[in-house]
Amino acid sequence: MDQTTLAYVNLYGVLGALPRLCELDPDAKRLAELKKPFKLGFRVKNGPAATLNFENGGCTMTDGTDVCDMRLSFSSPEKFNGMIAGTVKPFPWKGMHHVLFLLRRFTKLTDILTKYLKAGPKALEDEKFFAVSTELMFHVIAQSVAQIGNHDKIGAFSASNIVDGDIELSIGGGPSATLSVKDHHLTARFEAPEHPRAVMHFTSLKLARALFDGQVNAVACIGRGEIEMRGMISMIDNVNRILDRVAVYLS
Amino acid sequence: MHPVYSYEKTRAMFERAVNVIPSGLYGHQGPAEGCHIPPTAFPQFSSRAKGSYFWDLDGNRFIDYMCAYGPNVLGYGDPDVDEAAIKQMAIADCVTAPPSLIVDFAELMVDTVASADWAFFAKNGGDVTTAAVMTARAHTRRKKIVFFKGYYHGVAPWTQKIDYPGVLEEDVANSLYVPWNDLEALKETFEQNKGQIAAIISQPYMHGNFADNELPAEGFWAGVRKLCDETGALLIVDDVRAGFRLDIAGSDHFFGFEADLICFCKAIANGYNVSCLCGKNAFKNAVSSLSYTGSYWMSAVPFAAGIACVQKMKKLDLPKLLNEKGKKLTDGLVAQAEKHGHKLIVSGAPSLFYLRLADDDSLMLHQRWIAEMVKRGVFVTNHHNHFLNYSLSDEDIQETIEIAGEAFETL
Repeated sequence: MDQTTLAYVNLYGVLGALPRLCELDPDAKRLAELKKPFKLGFRVKNGPAATLNFENGGCTMTDGTDVCDMRLSFSSPEKFNGMIAGTVKPFPWKGMHHVLFLLRRFTKLTDILTKYLKAGPKALEDEKFFAVSTELMFHVIAQSVAQIGNHDKIGAFSASNIVDGDIELSIGGGPSATLSVKDHHLTARFEAPEHPRAVMHFTSLKLARALFDGQVNAVACIGRGEIEMRGMISMIDNVNRILDRVAVYLS
Repeated sequence: MHPVYSYEKTRAMFERAVNVIPSGLYGHQGPAEGCHIPPTAFPQFSSRAKGSYFWDLDGNRFIDYMCAYGPNVLGYGDPDVDEAAIKQMAIADCVTAPPSLIVDFAELMVDTVASADWAFFAKNGGDVTTAAVMTARAHTRRKKIVFFKGYYHGVAPWTQKIDYPGVLEEDVANSLYVPWNDLEALKETFEQNKGQIAAIISQPYMHGNFADNELPAEGFWAGVRKLCDETGALLIVDDVRAGFRLDIAGSDHFFGFEADLICFCKAIANGYNVSCLCGKNAFKNAVSSLSYTGSYWMSAVPFAAGIACVQKMKKLDLPKLLNEKGKKLTDGLVAQAEKHGHKLIVSGAPSLFYLRLADDDSLMLHQRWIAEMVKRGVFVTNHHNHFLNYSLSDEDIQETIEIAGEAFETL
């Protein structure tokens, strides 16, 4: 597993799910509501850089850390990945006086995110929790596909075989995402494409969850019609090869 | 108007299958890899087959344009091939001492295939493409193999790619990929890997999936042959898919060049399981040196079937007949498409035609049309070349064209 790619997955995939968390979970939403806008940047040497913007009662993520109130800088992808794994304590390089935000709000937000992403069977019995947890997993996975396709050596090989266009990933009764491919570079966004060139649709949240948890076989689900594929199947075929590597990075 | 099929028994059987078979049905004949879009429009199991038709579990009859993905070249249950096989079955099949039929079959292959001095038999196409690559490496003492992008040469790890599950980086470390028909890129690859390339392996023309099939450009094969001669690399033709449907003497013969090694399977025995690597005398010692065999590679029944099949194909001048049938069919399909306001692109050889509706870059319209054809009894596939067989009649072709029109009307 490549540490730089993992840093992209952790920043854009895992922390990138915080904006959606703040929309879906009332406690997270409360934590994101600040009197004044606040921008928390993450800069990884030889790796990604992005900023979480807490404003207007919600949260968004933007590329780069040029404009931020507090910046967490990491000397290597390994250090940043250590922070996500809980083995490295972050040290602010800018905005030391905002450290309370880090301790009181950001840590609580990531705790809530962890609760959803590492949910146990008991918690998933709650229908609402199940839906939020599955949507957040979908969010992390879709974004991770883009990051792995762009940065991982083997993922990039798969991406090199994907033609230009929008791929729809969607769950019946749940969220949709678009993987846009241009010159073999992948970008994820969380809305259905207007003109998909290929579609991979999971017929229910329950099925999507079972797939994410590795409890059912995707190829069998295609044969049963529980996963619907149509369009430029070679695009989906190569996305599936990248998905295979998502499991490696998120494990 | 033809009735629209339903598949209750097929669906029930697939539910049984998923309990005990990985993926329910794996590989190219399964619904996922076979691009059955949607799977509910396609039959997944057959109950019987005869001539140009197979029937599914629900009793639906299909005019079959996939021909078991190639092996059915004379018609399912061809009387001459089956008679030879049944006769041999009564004598012996899998025996400690191989049957002398192996010699008869090897002589027939050498007499039939223009570039062949010898024949080496196995079971599947992948067995002989692997044998060819091993032979090239044994002969040249070099590691690297050149592939043309969009290739398919079987499922052994060396034929797969770095991002395929179960394949190691080391399995494909010596694979070089060049665009099809790009002689300059090929020369550059040889220049960059001087003295390291054991072979080029290629199908006679590009019948890759999801794209129009592409014939060799003028002078391409002559240029490839020259490059191999200059560098000492072997030229391997994978004729598993196209073999005997372009030219009974081999597809290299059809395109006017000579392969060093040429691989056959699919059509060689009308569905009986045998494959064959043919080659030039210069490489006979190298193939002899391989430690490479299998439990059933010298079974007699497939040899008997293969002999009968090759003899019948020669007698009929089958490639010519199949290409005439293919032309008649595809002309009719193109006309039917035009009548309904669509443009149908046909590519590849008529006996192995590939279809695509134009102005449909997502291919979704094409997929809907194919599904409607299948549901009315014409088994065609979305993104793979098709295969014709000798038993396909003018009436079958006419019925197919009618069904194509009915399918267009639903779009």
